[in-house]
Amino acid sequence: MSAHRLISNRTAQQALSNSDYTWEYEYYEYGPVSFEGLKAHKYSIVIGFWVGLAVFVIFMFFVLTLLTKTGAPHQDNTEPSEKRFHVSSFVADFGKPLESDKVFSRQVAEESRSLFHFYINEVEHLDKAKQSHKAPGRDRNAHFQEVARNSGRLEEELNCLTKFNIPNFVNTDQNSSLGEDDLLISEPPIILESKPVIQTSRQILD
Amino acid sequence: SFENNSNISMNSDCTQVVVPEEVFFTIAAAGILENLLVLIAVIKNKNLHLPMYFFICSLSVSDILVSLYKTLENILIILCKMGYLTPRGYFETKIDDVIDSLFILSLLGSIFSLLAIAADRYITIFFALQYHNIMTLNRALIILAVIWVVCAGSGIAITIFSHETATVISFTILFPFMLTFILCLYIHMFLLARSHAKKIASLPTSAVPSRVNLKGAITLTIFLGVFLCCWGPFLLHILLVTFCPFNPYCACYMSIFHVNATLILCNGIIDPMIYAFRSPELRSTLKKMFCCTRSDW
Repeated sequence: MSAHRLISNRTAQQALSNSDYTWEYEYYEYGPVSFEGLKAHKYSIVIGFWVGLAVFVIFMFFVLTLLTKTGAPHQDNTEPSEKRFHVSSFVADFGKPLESDKVFSRQVAEESRSLFHFYINEVEHLDKAKQSHKAPGRDRNAHFQEVARNSGRLEEELNCLTKFNIPNFVNTDQNSSLGEDDLLISEPPIILESKPVIQTSRQILD
Repeated sequence: SFENNSNISMNSDCTQVVVPEEVFFTIAAAGILENLLVLIAVIKNKNLHLPMYFFICSLSVSDILVSLYKTLENILIILCKMGYLTPRGYFETKIDDVIDSLFILSLLGSIFSLLAIAADRYITIFFALQYHNIMTLNRALIILAVIWVVCAGSGIAITIFSHETATVISFTILFPFMLTFILCLYIHMFLLARSHAKKIASLPTSAVPSRVNLKGAITLTIFLGVFLCCWGPFLLHILLVTFCPFNPYCACYMSIFHVNATLILCNGIIDPMIYAFRSPELRSTLKKMFCCTRSDW
């Protein structure tokens, strides 16, 4: 290791005898070190480092948990939403064969396209009542709200898509073709889908 | 005062913690195999020819290089022990240089691949509608080529100038800096997810299961925790070697160098599990490969 060679240069420069310092490859002997009169435990750096690292990781975990708390006041529909959650996570978590993956993705693509058409219809309604300044992300979220209020079926789809929209890297995330699709909304999940669909939907949204 | 070596036992208090070479070879081989599987799966399945998977492949390549480095080094050590190589010959030092630069290349490649993965996810979320315009396949390949050329150049430069303190400092500072940047990207993504989920949660008849958010926090903690626990000890070792080689506390830390090196190898095993194997598409590709191999179609 080059770090090791650094020590060899230094010890050579300090005119110590080379016999103190042996083999470059095998042992990492760092010259004469006095172990007399140590106040703390000799492995204190090791223990301190690992304890500090563990504390830091746990602290990061709590910070992230606080950051991602939604603060939902009540969860009346926890049961059905959990079921939907399980259904949609079933697709994402378990490795299905490619064919049924495509089939389900096609279904989700059709759902997202129908959601998308509703979204387009609602855009005109919403434009009248919308504030002028909003980030594009917030716009999408607000539009989702309006769309979901109007249709019960859309609420179901919305819950499915919600799970995908949150960057939950455990379940779907962008690693799956479904997850990537849902964030893009207008685009089908798999490359196999025809290109014109992508382009027309993008034109409409722009 | 630390040069008094007459009566004091030099290294008997903190002897080198030796990890058997079989352990090294096993872990390195497992890491190489696992990452090769990821590469093969991405190459074979056309659906996985996406920028995101190319970045995951880049991470797998850097993990393979780390495992290769350790394997080569152990082979060299064994050859030295058996007497085929002289400890400080010209040829051996040159070989040592080459594999050191390989190690630094893979280390830099690892952190830059993680950065590319995080940036790709960031663009997917915040520029979702233009994602396919921003991150085309060609651009992803160009980004990867630039990353690896920069890493190779830096690896060679750092190996050549390894005796300079400034090199060590800048190398060690690079990692917390990059890690913090990646953390900021992910936190920004989580903040958007939180605001989105809040809006969804305010709908009268829908609710967001709280475990969704806990899983996100767990995932990100795993990302960072694995990287810190696997690379952190080695980076601290480099710092201590540079700044306090003769301090007894530092020497005791440096005596566990082989354990730290094993942790780096373990990183090569864990990374595919938390990045590549999370994708159901990739998992199903691998299952298909093994099922076809077993039933001899």
